[in-house]
Amino acid sequence: MAIILNGTTGITTPDIDSTAGFDGEDLTGDIAAARITGALNATGSAPVYACRAWVNFNGTSTVAIRASGNVSTITDNGAGDYTVNFTTSMPDTNYAIIGSTGTDSNTNPPSTFNINRIRASGNHVDSTTSAVRVTVDPSSNGDSKYVSVAIFR
Amino acid sequence: MDNKRIIFSNDEGGVSIIVPAPGATLEQCLKAVPTGKDYQVVDVADVPSNRTFRNAWEMT
Repeated sequence: MAIILNGTTGITTPDIDSTAGFDGEDLTGDIAAARITGALNATGSAPVYACRAWVNFNGTSTVAIRASGNVSTITDNGAGDYTVNFTTSMPDTNYAIIGSTGTDSNTNPPSTFNINRIRASGNHVDSTTSAVRVTVDPSSNGDSKYVSVAIFR
Repeated sequence: MDNKRIIFSNDEGGVSIIVPAPGATLEQCLKAVPTGKDYQVVDVADVPSNRTFRNAWEMT
């Protein structure tokens, strides 16, 4: 049903409750929850927790973000040392940090992924509600072409 | 901001470079600069792509 704009009397909208698939009663409570888990292809009764921020970036050459969600920037702190900065802060610092890193050649060794560490000094640095520091330890120059980070809370 | 970078001297004596996500605004990027740090906005082409001596970089 179309929305009609009338400059004299205002805006006339369709009756949402009578529109197929938009029954207001169905958009709350257990039925709404079932629709969401269904849309996520989640079966069973285990709850679903959504990713709150994620980023995939190239840490070599000209460092660049390939794609992201709720990540405004990354900070390149040095070889293999990056800070992921959130667009909207987390509710606290008790979030889970999931990361992966990959080598970019047949000769470089596998890389490891670490958090809350300054790579050059080895010192610890706490996560904050707005950012988390991640490091990778792949090859001699210490960068990784494929770095991914996801935040769950 | 896609073709820009923000650089500042970090507490480890090196240079940190803020890399924006596609579509990020200058205001969003500046939030990543630590409070009280001097910074410069530079073209991405001005940042070396050869990172062999990355930890030895200095701001001029």
